[in-house]
Formats: sequence, structure tokens, C-alpha cells
Amino acid sequence: MDIHELRITAELAMLDLDEREMKVFEAEVSKTLEYFAQMNAVDVDGLEPTTHVLMEENRAREDRTRDENLSDRLLEEAPERQGRHIVIPNVL
Amino acid sequence: MSVDPWKGILKDTQRHSAYLRYFEEWEARIGSFLEYRLSQDDPSDSGRLPLGGVPFGVKDNIAVEGYHCTCGSKILKDFTSPYSATAVNRLKAAGAVPVGKCNLDEFGMGSSTDNSALKKTHNPWDVSRVAGGSSGGSAAAVAAGLVPFALGSDTGGSVRQPAAFCGVYGLKPTYGAVSRYGLVAYASSLEVVGVLADTVDTARRVFDVIKGQDELDQSSALYPGLSRDRGGNPGAAPPAASTARIAVVEGLEGLSPEVEETYRSSIDFYKAAGCEIQPVSLPSLDYAVAAYYTIATAEASANLARYTGIRYGYRDTGAVTMEEMVRSSRTKGFGDEVKLRILLGTYVLRSGFQDQYYGRAQKIRTAIRNDFDRVFAAADLLLMPVFPVQAFPHGDTSLDQFQQKLADKFTVAANLAGIPALSFPTAPRNGLPVGMQLLGPVFSEQRLFAAAEIHEKSLGGIPRPHGFRSV
Amino acid sequence: MAEYQSFIGLEIHIQLLTATKVFCGCRNRFGDEPNTNVCPVCLGYPGVLPAVNEQALLFSYMVARALNCDLSKTAYFDRKNYFYPDMTKNYQISQFHSPIGRNGWIEYETGGELKKVRIHDVHLEEDAGKSIHRGTATLLDYNRAGTSLLEIVTEPDMETGEDAEAFIQNFRRLVRYLGVCDGNMEEGSLRCDGNISINLKGKGLGTKTEVKNVNSSRFLKLSMNHEIGRQKRALEKGERIVQETRLWNEAQSRTEPMRTKESAHDYRYFPEPDMPPFRPSPAFIADVDARLVELPVYRKRRYEAEYGISGDQVQFLTEEKPVADFFESTVTAGADPLQAAAWICTDIQKNLNKLQIGLEESSLTSLRLAALINLVKEGVINRKKAELTLSLMLEEDKDPDVIVREQGWEQISDSGAIEALVTEVLQANPKAVDQIRGGDMKPMGFLTGQVMKLSKGQADPKLVQAVISGKLGS
Repeated sequence: MDIHELRITAELAMLDLDEREMKVFEAEVSKTLEYFAQMNAVDVDGLEPTTHVLMEENRAREDRTRDENLSDRLLEEAPERQGRHIVIPNVL
Repeated sequence: MSVDPWKGILKDTQRHSAYLRYFEEWEARIGSFLEYRLSQDDPSDSGRLPLGGVPFGVKDNIAVEGYHCTCGSKILKDFTSPYSATAVNRLKAAGAVPVGKCNLDEFGMGSSTDNSALKKTHNPWDVSRVAGGSSGGSAAAVAAGLVPFALGSDTGGSVRQPAAFCGVYGLKPTYGAVSRYGLVAYASSLEVVGVLADTVDTARRVFDVIKGQDELDQSSALYPGLSRDRGGNPGAAPPAASTARIAVVEGLEGLSPEVEETYRSSIDFYKAAGCEIQPVSLPSLDYAVAAYYTIATAEASANLARYTGIRYGYRDTGAVTMEEMVRSSRTKGFGDEVKLRILLGTYVLRSGFQDQYYGRAQKIRTAIRNDFDRVFAAADLLLMPVFPVQAFPHGDTSLDQFQQKLADKFTVAANLAGIPALSFPTAPRNGLPVGMQLLGPVFSEQRLFAAAEIHEKSLGGIPRPHGFRSV
Repeated sequence: MAEYQSFIGLEIHIQLLTATKVFCGCRNRFGDEPNTNVCPVCLGYPGVLPAVNEQALLFSYMVARALNCDLSKTAYFDRKNYFYPDMTKNYQISQFHSPIGRNGWIEYETGGELKKVRIHDVHLEEDAGKSIHRGTATLLDYNRAGTSLLEIVTEPDMETGEDAEAFIQNFRRLVRYLGVCDGNMEEGSLRCDGNISINLKGKGLGTKTEVKNVNSSRFLKLSMNHEIGRQKRALEKGERIVQETRLWNEAQSRTEPMRTKESAHDYRYFPEPDMPPFRPSPAFIADVDARLVELPVYRKRRYEAEYGISGDQVQFLTEEKPVADFFESTVTAGADPLQAAAWICTDIQKNLNKLQIGLEESSLTSLRLAALINLVKEGVINRKKAELTLSLMLEEDKDPDVIVREQGWEQISDSGAIEALVTEVLQANPKAVDQIRGGDMKPMGFLTGQVMKLSKGQADPKLVQAVISGKLGS
């Protein structure tokens, strides 16, 4: 994977990589991807992908409220608040 | 044996202070807990309950209300969980008492626990060596006798490998057999809450408490589940362990002499016990690691996207814009191995690359399941080493992060196939434990326990590190 | 001037009327204090898992079925990955690879004509929270985060803003009939983005733009027509249409490009591992089918064809399902359909407005209305008295015949009694009598009115006229 692809990937992942990290990760990611490329040797024709292992049953939850009354406690974990709002710097 | 001697240890003043002393002496040497509270209420009538008053440790990626849940990461260093995992709630209901949170590789990503951003954990057998990972703190605590059992999580071997390194039992249950609610997700389709324990009986009793369907986890299964057609009828009574048909893999490469000898002697042991040994080949095993890491990192890239410093956890307050804040909090909050896996996972899912990597890995996953189906059509169990080497030294340059991934070869297959596996300790070699694992078809945990138990009897209990005292 | 063809497709989001959110047990309710209807699951806390709501599934299948979709034998969720502060996990649980329904179609009516729109797919997903921008800070509220959202994507089968407006109005009625969504566009429980492209006739689809921020059916019409005009002008000038997202500016009545950060977009969809695929059983599908209803567009056309009701009346009757149901059960109870329609559209409406209540909340039943209509038909009371009876029925929660009896409003149809009344009036108005006898029929109405007045409105007006005519030999 070249630096350009790595930069796009890092942006999608919301990670900032400085020049040093770019180099380290480029090498590490490339090595791993090369290893992943071994999978190309496998004949996968006719194999269905396993998207969900061992989930053969329909599952659905009853439409019933589950009151844990945790909202105040959850807000305590927010790094910044104004009243009951969670605050972040303006998006712009 | 088992957990009964532990009952009441938190209540009886004399026993409690001795326990506290013992615990803290060991803890100063091995650093297995990130946080612990030994002085706490043991519900008075808990003695009547199956695990009444028994202390246990919880890997710090499993939520326990009121405790931190750091996942070994800077990004969650100050985060306290407002709720408990289903497995923890079930253990509490059975009377057990969570006394602390065990160290781990950051978000479960690693095989040494050295990837924890918060603490160093050492192997109780030799503190210059790693405890394994990612559930290294849980394994070390059980091996040193600080708790009779601890919860861990196994995504690609994270219960079994540290259990092997520290010389304890490590159960990776069938996928979905134990609710994942409260287990901080790394790779959702692969991982399961597991048990590290000092006896087979303890592992079994704990598993019996935590298993079963949970309305909060729709991937959890009725136990035993519907998959009876896959690999016989594991829901039925286990075959007599001494006459079980045990498959063994021929021509394994890259094993250290100690591990290879132990594998041979374990095969001999089961043969002598009356089991039928069936040599088999598992061709798809060669691609298991590539498929595993492709899927695991892909899922991780999504699972770890929620850590932004917006709602909880570390926030870099220096940032001016929202985007900057999120990027900077993530960049400063995650360690290198976590960032590497997020980048890999993001990449293998990108359009243009997804079919080649993620899509192919999902198909290989099917091939691996088919391989196991074939093996378990003729055999009751499969015996394999856990890891190619014994516990390695901290900072071992011959085994960098990449090499460690390749060494997950024997553990990841069970996660890809969703089948259960039990790592069990054997006689130490060169002063270090060696672990072997038994694998079975889905929902065959009882079969695994029974087979491990004959071996346990011959061993006379797990080996213990120097300095161990029984509570 | 070249001839152009325009293509409009819609992406519609509806909030489902479930009691709880789609993947957790939090209340699905708006207007509460910020961040009160939240839990670890919808806030995306470490360690939580989604658990799909069965009612949300049921509603989704009802819509997919009503839109004639092929239902997936195995439907599952996917993760759609992108960072957004309103979205707590930074992936949206949605459906991409195997949505609930695909390849559907639906007919809608515009200008009395039925038109068909193909449905690309119907998929269930979760909504995001809301943010308020205040200077250098953004305030986040997650009460809406994780509520169930059903997305319906149409093919670009509409041509004009008028088409799109009619379609969305028809669609709004449809989801309200099914009872799965309240269809409130202003409040955002029904949201709609328009995709639009134009091209020279016969050249197929052009480069499309997407128009967002359209919160009424009228704005949908205006924005689509504006966009057609804008694209046409651009093409005539030889410009190329840029594929982009535009916002409808309500104040300026025009679309404007949405300012976006130049960033990589790649949703990296993959199957959601936390929930098993859903395989609808025959019993489940039967349950879904049992909940389907005759769609409003067909109901309207049936009333026109079967009963000859038209115009505003048929529109009013079929706008809301409870009204249409009330109308039909009134007819089933034996009322004349035209009479029933007239009563429901005018008198009943007037009374309900006065009482400020809805039809369902009132004490009026279709049986009572049918009885009232038949009292008029059988000549027991006249139309005027019937209107008064209706008011009392609503106020006093009584059957019409009870009111008529209590008030002594039975119509006088006894010809002897009417003859006596007529005689009295004729004697009192000799001038009018002379006029009629002289061939000028103008005072007929006046005399009839006088008789009615004398009878306190209870005389049968037709009978009164007949008696007067008989007596004056006209």
C-alpha cells in the first residue's frame, strides 16, 4: 500500500499520522497485506461467505420500554456538557 | 478441589487479611489487576449459592458496574462502566464476587498483554516473561492463586494462549453460547466471553452459570443450540471420555521442541487412556491466520469508531474544530497496534479492495468450517497445540507483533468456525507451562471438560509457580 | 428549442410508530428534555449490542408488502461506516446487501390518472441524534438516536414536480392508512430527498443532483421544478451538470449547492455481525398480510366508481382511514352512500369542529348516523330537524330516535292535520291565495313557509305543498 492509499485510509479511520508514523505504518500495513494476499491461492469457487456463524434462529425483541434510568449517569461520562446537552466544538 | 474452599474468604476476617496479604504480595510482582477491591460485602447468605462468596477477576474489556472499563487503553483510562455484562450479572446472581479488573492487550489486540497502555503484566512462572494475551492479567491472576477463576475474552486465542502460558485451564466456548453483552467489541463475529480457571470443575461450574441465551444479545444461542446437524449431536450426553475418538493433526510445522514433545506425549496419553487416535489433515489451516486477521481488523475498524472523545472517554481539549478533536483524541488515545489494526481493517473494507480481502476471507471462513465438519463427522474431539512456543520474554525481538500474529495459527480456526476449545496445562518443561487444546463441534463443551478431566487426574491438578500457596 | 425529459426519484425516510427505539428499549418519543431517552445502547457505549425491535420489523414488512416488493428470504443488517457526531457508533446500522424488500411498485393518482412508480428497495435503519449549533459550540441531543427509520427508495419514474408532490401525498396517506407512521413532514417523521436529472428526450437518464431539506410536499414540487429549470438552462448554455447534493432554500425558493468538506467517501458496508439474519416464516408473512389494508388510492377510485362520490367529498372521505372506515360502516349499516358522504363531509365536520374533537373521540357511531339518515329517508323527521338531532346526539351521546322522541320532533305526515294547518294559513293570507288563483305561482313558497312555521317545522314540506296545490286547484 502506498502513502497515498494510506493517507485516504487514515482519513476514513479518523487518524492523524505524522511523517514518521506514515513510514512505520506503511511498512507494517504493506507487510500484512502481502500476507493476506496468500488467500488468493485458495479456490473459493462455490463457497458461500460466512456472514453469521451459528445464527440460525430469528431473534427480535418485544416492543416494550426498558427503563434503566441511566441517562443522568451516562451524561456524567461526557467530557463537556451544558445542561443536559453534550458539547463539542462547532463542526465548522 | 474446585471453588468450595474459596467460599467465605471475603467474610472471615482472619482468612480475609491473609488473602489480602497474599494477593498484594503477588500483585506487586506480576501486575495482573488494573484495579481491585478485596474489601467488599459478600452477601450474607451467598454461601447457599453455587458460587457463593467466591472472588473472581474480570478482564478489563468486560463491563462491571462501578468499576473502570479501560480495555487497557488510554482512550478509556478514566471511563467507568454504568452497567454490567450479562456474564458478570449471572455470576453475581450465583453468589460470586467480582474483586477486580484484569490487565489485557489494548482492546484485546495482542498475544502478550504488553500492548496494554496502562500496566505491565508478568508471567507468575518467570516475571521476565509475558503472561500471554490478550487475557494475560486474567491468566496470571488464576495461575498465582489470586482468584480461582477469571473471565476473559477469546477473539483469536486470547483466553487459550495466556492460559497455556501461565498453566491454567482456558475455555473458549461455542460462539453465542455466552452472551457478549458487556464485552467491549473487538471482532464481533469471532469473539466470545471465556473462562480461565484453576480446575476443570471450576471452569465447568462457571460456564454452566454464564451460558445461555440473553435477550440483550441476539447472537446468543439457546444452549445447546439448534446446530445439532453440524458435527453429530453434541447436545446429547458426552461419549465416555476414555473411549472418545480424538483427531490429531499430522505434520505441524514451526513448533518449538518443548511444544512438539508435549503434543506427542499428550497424544500418547489419550491413546493409553483408551481413546482412538485419528490422524487428520486440516488444509485450510494454512490460510486461517490471513482470513482471521482480515475479518478481525475489518470488524475492529467499525467497532472502534465510537471512540471519539465526544460522549465518554479521552478528549483532546486542545482541538478547535470537531474533526480535529476527534482525530486528535483517537490518535493520542489509541496505541500503535490498535491504530495498525484499524488501518488494516479500514483498508480491507474499502470499495475496490473489499472483494479481494474481506469477501474472500468470509469464503475461506466457510472452507474452515467445512474442514471442521469433516473432522467431526468421524471424530469426537480434535487435539492441537495452543501456541508454537512457551511464554516468551518481554521484548523478544525474534517474535515481533507480526510473528506473533502468524503464531495464532492453532487458535484462530476455532473462532472462525465458532466451535468450542479448551486449553489445558500439561507438565511444565524447562520451568514453564505448556498448553494443549481440545476442540469439539459446536455445543460440545461437556465433552471437552470430560476429556480434559482425565488428563487433569493424571496430572494431579494444575502445576503451580513458585511462591504459590493455597488459600 | 430542444426537447428535454426529466427523471425524478425519491428517497423517503419514515419514522415508525413503535413504542421503543429500533435496537434498544428506550422510549421513541420526542419533545422530552435532551438526552433523557438514552441508554448505553443508543449512546454507543463500550460493550453494548443492538437488539432489533419486532414491531419495527413487522411495520417494515407491511410497507414492503404494500409496495409490492419481493421480500428477501434472508434479510440482514449491514454497517454503514462514516463519522458523524450525531451518530453514536460512527456506523449506522442499515441494510444494504439484503434489505427487507426490493423491486416493488406502487400506483399513485394525479389529476385523476393512475401512474406507476417502481420501488428500488425498502430497508430498515436507525436514525441519528440532533445537534444545535451555538457559536463555537455544538450541542448534542441523542433522544432521536437509534429510533427506527424506514427508507424507501424509488426509481426515477416521476417527471415533474407535480408528479413528485402527488406521489408523496399518496405515499403519506398510504403509511398513515397502514398505521406505521404519522406522516408529519414538518416535524420530520416523513422526510424526502429528491434525485433529479434531465436529458434530451430519448437519451435516458442524465447526471443527477440530489435535493435535500425539503419539508413539505409543496416544497418538493417547487424544488423539483426549480431544479428542472436550472438544469435545462445549464444544458442550453452548454454546461455540464455536476453530480452534487443541493439544499432547498425555502426563503429564496431555489436550490443551492450544499457546502461540503472535500473528503473521501466510502461507506465500507459489511454485514452487521451482532444480529442474526431474519428469515420471515410463512406465519409471519400471513400476519403481515392480515394487517394490510385497501390502499387509499384504490379506495378513492372505488368510491367514485361504486357510489358516484366525487370531487372534494371523495377526497375528504378517503384522506384519513378512520373517516373512510366510518363512511363504509355507515353504508353497511344501511345508509344511502351519497347521504352518508354528505353528512360526513359537512354536518358532522361542522359539529366536530365546534366541539373541537375528532371523529373517533366523539360519541357518534356509524350505526347512529345510519339511523339518523334513515329517519329522514322514512319521513320521520325532516332534514332541518335531523341537523338539530345530530348536534344533540353528539352532545348527549344518545341514539337519534331517542332524541327525536324526547324533543317531539316527529314529522307531521298525517294529511288531516296538515289540511287543518293549510286551511288556517290560506284564511290568513287571502291576497296570496288570489295571486295563485290568478295564475301567479310566486307566493307558493311563502305559503309553504307559513305552514311549516305554524307546524314548528315538523310538517312534511312535500305534503304541505301537495295539499296547498290541491286546495287552490293549481
